[in-house]
Amino acid sequence: MKETSNKYLISALLLGLLFHGSAIFFTLEKTYDALIHLFFADHYANSWFEPWNYEWYTGFTVQSYPPLVHQSIGLLSYIGGLKFGMFSVALIAIVLFITGVYRFSLMMTSNKTVAGYAAILAVFSSSFVETLHIFGQLPSIIGVSVLMHALPEIYLWLKTGRKWYLATSLSLIAVTVTSHHVTPIFGMIFFIFPVIGMVIMDVSREQVNSMKEVTFKIFLGSFLKLFKRIVSFGLLSLVLIIGCIFPYWLNSKANPITQVPIPHGSRDNFLEITSSGLVFFLIPWGALLVLLPYIFYRYYSKRYLFFGLSITICTILGTGGTTPVPLKMLGETAFNILTLDRFTLWASILSLPLLGEFTYRFVEGDLKELIQSKFGAVYHRIIGGTLAGLFVFMVIFTMSLGYFRPSQPQKIKMLPIVNFLNQDDHDKWRFLTLGFGDQMAWLSAQTNAMTVDGNYHSARRLPELTTRPIERLENSKFQGVAGIGSLQQFLTTPEKYNLKYIFSNDKFYDPILYFSGWQRLRQLENGIMVWERLNIPPLPSILPKEDVATWLKIHWGIMPFLTVIIAFILNIQMLWVNMLKTRIKPLPDFLKFPISYNNFNKNILRITHVWSIFLALAVFYGIYLFYLKNDSQRSPENAIFAYYNALDFKEFEKAHRLIDPTSKITIAQYMLEISVTDGLLSSYAKMDSIGTHITKYNDSTVSAKVTTQWITPLEKIEKIDFKLLSKIKGKWYLQADDLNNDLPPDQLYSNNVTKYFNQGRRRITTEQTHHEDILKQPVLEVISAKLVKFDGSYAIIGEVQNIDNVPADVILKGTLYNDDNKQLASYNAKYHVKHKLMPKESSSFRINFEGIAWSKTQDSIPDTFNPDEFTPVEFEEQPTKFNLQVAGNVSGSDLYKNVVLSDINFNKDVLNGKLFNSGVQEITIPQLLITYYDENKNMVWVDHLFVKEGVRQERKQDFTYQILNHGPIKIINESMKNIFVNGLPNENISNKIIPNRIKNHTNSELQAIENPYFSYIKIEINTYIGSPF
Amino acid sequence: MKFNHIYKLILCLALLSSFTEMQNSEKDSVITLLTNRTEFEVGNKVVLKFSSSNQNKPILYCSNSYGSTLIKPRYERGKLVYQLPENISTKIGVINWELLNTSKPLTGKLNITPIAKVATMETYIGPPSIESGGSDYSMLVVIPTDSLDNPVPTNTLVNVKNQFLDNEETHEIFTKNFVAFRIIHSPKKTGRMLVSSECLGTNSKEFTVNVSAAIPTNFYISVTRPHNYADGNQITTFSTSVIKDKSGNIVSDGTFVTFIIKNLKGNILKTVGLTIAGVATSKMIHPEYPDSWNVKAYVEGAAESNSISLNYNQVIQDFKVEFFDDNRKISVGPLQSFMQQLIPDGLHVKLNIYKDNAFVSTLTKTSFNGYVHFKLKPAIFEKGTYTFSIETAGLTKNIKNKKLW
Repeated sequence: MKETSNKYLISALLLGLLFHGSAIFFTLEKTYDALIHLFFADHYANSWFEPWNYEWYTGFTVQSYPPLVHQSIGLLSYIGGLKFGMFSVALIAIVLFITGVYRFSLMMTSNKTVAGYAAILAVFSSSFVETLHIFGQLPSIIGVSVLMHALPEIYLWLKTGRKWYLATSLSLIAVTVTSHHVTPIFGMIFFIFPVIGMVIMDVSREQVNSMKEVTFKIFLGSFLKLFKRIVSFGLLSLVLIIGCIFPYWLNSKANPITQVPIPHGSRDNFLEITSSGLVFFLIPWGALLVLLPYIFYRYYSKRYLFFGLSITICTILGTGGTTPVPLKMLGETAFNILTLDRFTLWASILSLPLLGEFTYRFVEGDLKELIQSKFGAVYHRIIGGTLAGLFVFMVIFTMSLGYFRPSQPQKIKMLPIVNFLNQDDHDKWRFLTLGFGDQMAWLSAQTNAMTVDGNYHSARRLPELTTRPIERLENSKFQGVAGIGSLQQFLTTPEKYNLKYIFSNDKFYDPILYFSGWQRLRQLENGIMVWERLNIPPLPSILPKEDVATWLKIHWGIMPFLTVIIAFILNIQMLWVNMLKTRIKPLPDFLKFPISYNNFNKNILRITHVWSIFLALAVFYGIYLFYLKNDSQRSPENAIFAYYNALDFKEFEKAHRLIDPTSKITIAQYMLEISVTDGLLSSYAKMDSIGTHITKYNDSTVSAKVTTQWITPLEKIEKIDFKLLSKIKGKWYLQADDLNNDLPPDQLYSNNVTKYFNQGRRRITTEQTHHEDILKQPVLEVISAKLVKFDGSYAIIGEVQNIDNVPADVILKGTLYNDDNKQLASYNAKYHVKHKLMPKESSSFRINFEGIAWSKTQDSIPDTFNPDEFTPVEFEEQPTKFNLQVAGNVSGSDLYKNVVLSDINFNKDVLNGKLFNSGVQEITIPQLLITYYDENKNMVWVDHLFVKEGVRQERKQDFTYQILNHGPIKIINESMKNIFVNGLPNENISNKIIPNRIKNHTNSELQAIENPYFSYIKIEINTYIGSPF
Repeated sequence: MKFNHIYKLILCLALLSSFTEMQNSEKDSVITLLTNRTEFEVGNKVVLKFSSSNQNKPILYCSNSYGSTLIKPRYERGKLVYQLPENISTKIGVINWELLNTSKPLTGKLNITPIAKVATMETYIGPPSIESGGSDYSMLVVIPTDSLDNPVPTNTLVNVKNQFLDNEETHEIFTKNFVAFRIIHSPKKTGRMLVSSECLGTNSKEFTVNVSAAIPTNFYISVTRPHNYADGNQITTFSTSVIKDKSGNIVSDGTFVTFIIKNLKGNILKTVGLTIAGVATSKMIHPEYPDSWNVKAYVEGAAESNSISLNYNQVIQDFKVEFFDDNRKISVGPLQSFMQQLIPDGLHVKLNIYKDNAFVSTLTKTSFNGYVHFKLKPAIFEKGTYTFSIETAGLTKNIKNKKLW
């Protein structure tokens, strides 16, 4: 008998390559993972045998991820660059997947046509489309594909006992291991064990006449007969799993993942968080959901029984946090480490052979006959069309998901950033990206500069990162309090990490950068704002690394490709024989168990019908709920929700449509009114939650108390608004708010300012800066400083003055000691200081000592977001002394001082005041520094207030401040002995520049307050200008 | 068996040691130093010659502060000639040498002396900016070196030249331990000082030291304003006299001056100015109610101004309050300014609402075209009898027991 080419397989391959091969160029770079693999590939391309990578996380080892895919991309990058390598590997993955599904299905169904159907359907399987085009998990795809190739070989080894098959199956297992470590481990359970079960069934079946006669006794007998083969295969594959990526296991043991679990959508309750349900359940299952009854029915037939168990477990585990079952099955630890979406992926892959089988039976088999005889040919066509339509819809929907709901920010041109890092030794410091998404990996792949961040969270080492449930610093605004909290630590004490440059692609972070003492350098051509921090030492030329033995490095560098080469040599012969049909081969054993498709179970058809109707109802009900929730003018709650949402997303046209049309406010007028408001709340806040309390007045008028929680980079803001809504023609509208009519006196006015420019290097040279071009550090003086204890936490407070003639950027670093001069904690001043001081300007300051938040009690992480959250250091011993290091550097930016405290009034403990902007720039965020004094006018505390609204030019802005009403504050140490300015003793400096200082000069001008703990306050104002000119 | 081996080993060693003895017992040839110069000027060839009685060519070991080396001799007419390599002979200082492979090693010292010829001037000055008045200083450090990068001999003359305003002067300093230095104290005036140095005919490049003003001394302030009414809209401008330091220098631009205002209530208001050419100006918006201000300016810790006081007069004499729409709409106005003109938009009007003698809430609005309209939303203010007080521009009006429908 001459074998014919399987035209289904060939069409599947052609279709797959055409469809996915052309689509990857538009999707792969925007996926979550692909660029991470690219970064790893770049590492191997540059240093194949050196596992230590300095670029991320202050150094990590690439032995923390199986290397095959990365090394393949790296190798191919020598030919045509990294992206060429990535796309080539993706194409290989596509081919491997389709052929893998074919071989797996052939083994399962013993029918080439069915396997061909399965291969074609696999091309468009929504789980594969999602894994490739949305997640970009290349190693996972290659791992599972090679595993599917291994399954027939395993079957043949167990069935025939020919050592050749043992060799081929093990060689393929080895390739699987080196491309993805989780796949073979779970693959053992979910793929290989069922295959073993099936082989035993088949062997038992051969002893009797029909499947029905296979009893447990016969089964056990066959099992014992095959026991040796099973155990030898099991043990040898265990050896391979450990041996092939031995350095990985060694590294996991040396650096166990001891980090706080990172939230992942696949662990959500899919009914509550519907977006997770869509991405991790509905899409991967896709059209297969309709066939679930058939799949389970078939997999629970005797021969496939073990596949039935396997797919059941996978399906249940894939439901994530929807039910408590997966958590109980996996246990707390595994549940929090694993991403559960992979179980759904495997379940859907396990279903593919049966999908092929169903389609075969539906298109040309017994099911067609059954339906046609029962319901008629037209019905069969309609059902076919519906199923095909559903299938096509799922593919298009999945492919377009990245287009409608982009998971990544717009593609950023990296060249200007790469150039910036290369020039002027900027790569001698670490950098950080903000708002880049996964594209940060692509930036890292293109530059040698290092970042404190990274995109492979399992490899993180800094406790500041591992103790937080955050994936990256880079997108910390999406990670709630933990994210911003972690970011704050890096921003406040960047010298610890040699972090000097920040590339910001998200305006959201600007205020936190400014108030932590960073300054804008310039905007690059691609729109990325570069922020820098002064006084950061460059990276030392020798950086610490965790070295591993040379043989491990060689093992890691050689083993992956060795496994591929061996697998190639062992399997290629078969492949040629199969493809070119050079000689007639004996039929493989698994083809000896054909299934006759001639009697489709009528009950299954019935159940599938019922199930489909149920699914359809569920879908329609979901859509109906969605409509109810999103019809913006259906109820006052919806109207308010839609209005605030529109404001939050700056969709002003939509917001305007919700304003009462009878108020006759034109869109132009509305936009004008909105556009004049700037500030923390209107420009940098993201709405976190909204609560409405409706008071009904009559059927067409209600008033609503709207409580909104806003997240800003600086603090959490709660805002309460009262809104009046009216119902006009069945639709609810909001009444427009009143405007501030303040009219400035001047139409045009002038303001003289002193501007500064620091040349940096005056000559263009690659040499180090000439010594005569190095500016003197401005001389600062610490006028007072003391260590105080308030509310259980320690702080250093005081006053610093720029006594030089040039503007200074001020960095204050405080260190606490106990009586035995043991260092206890060290931190920098964050918000409580004016970081930029003009000549002779002074500022109060406070240094808080923040610990690494929640490092002790992992379970007490608050659920709600609060960027203001402060975790004081836990001191084991009492701090009694302090050291204060002040550094000044010349800075010419952010020197806007034209803000006036124009009125204040006290109402018990509430201070009401007005700020007036007397200059020519719009103040985006005013900050008040409030210094408290005791009755003897001794400074005891420093507090701050961010005013929520900005102040426009020549206009006033109200503020309200709640005076602290708890105390007392304990002063622990007032010694000024250990204070140093630019490394020199403070006292010497002050004696030289201001020998006859008028002490407590403005003490007579302190604001008296009535308060049990404090007697006076002083108010200083600091301003953040969003767009300075 | 074991002992046998050990015996054999000992025997072997004994035999071997007897051979070495024989080698050593060979007679040394007599080598004497012929070169009697010990001082060489840097840059010249340094050659050591030895007389030798036989053909032995012992190696010369020599070391200076940069390192050590071994030199092989040439054999010229019965003399051993050792030429020191350039990396040794072009550095000044002591060279220690020792002839190896002789039983009585010959040792000696050579001195490489500097030449009084300057090729480059390594010059440093810092800090590049100092404060006038004489207490602050900058330091110039000069290291004249020859073409081989050796420092010149001690006590070589270096002329330091500096120019400041109309003054050009030269000072003589001498090198010691390779270095010549001079401390330049700041003059009393501010300006730019140019400094250079010269040594044996070679000049350094020009260096700059900026002399900036010292801390300011007391000054005066003055005020200008368009009118003296408390309209909450116009802007009063404060300015200082030219602020100078004790030597009469104008303080550097950008000096921070705080104007502190104490009002009638005893509250402290604040405005700031940055100096330009010694004068700081700062703006302040007029109060919204009649007030009297006491203003004094400070440069923290260093200087202060005189104190001035100014009054702001009542801008609105009276206003009307009207109720409409079930008393839920309250109209305040017309608000007329000092010439009976309508007050500029933006005057704050505060409505305090009380019910049953208990405070309910305060509504604040800004005037528009001379009027302010309040709407009391029925959802917030239920039907009942309320008492209102309306405050604006320092005036208060009370309306008692109004019924809201």
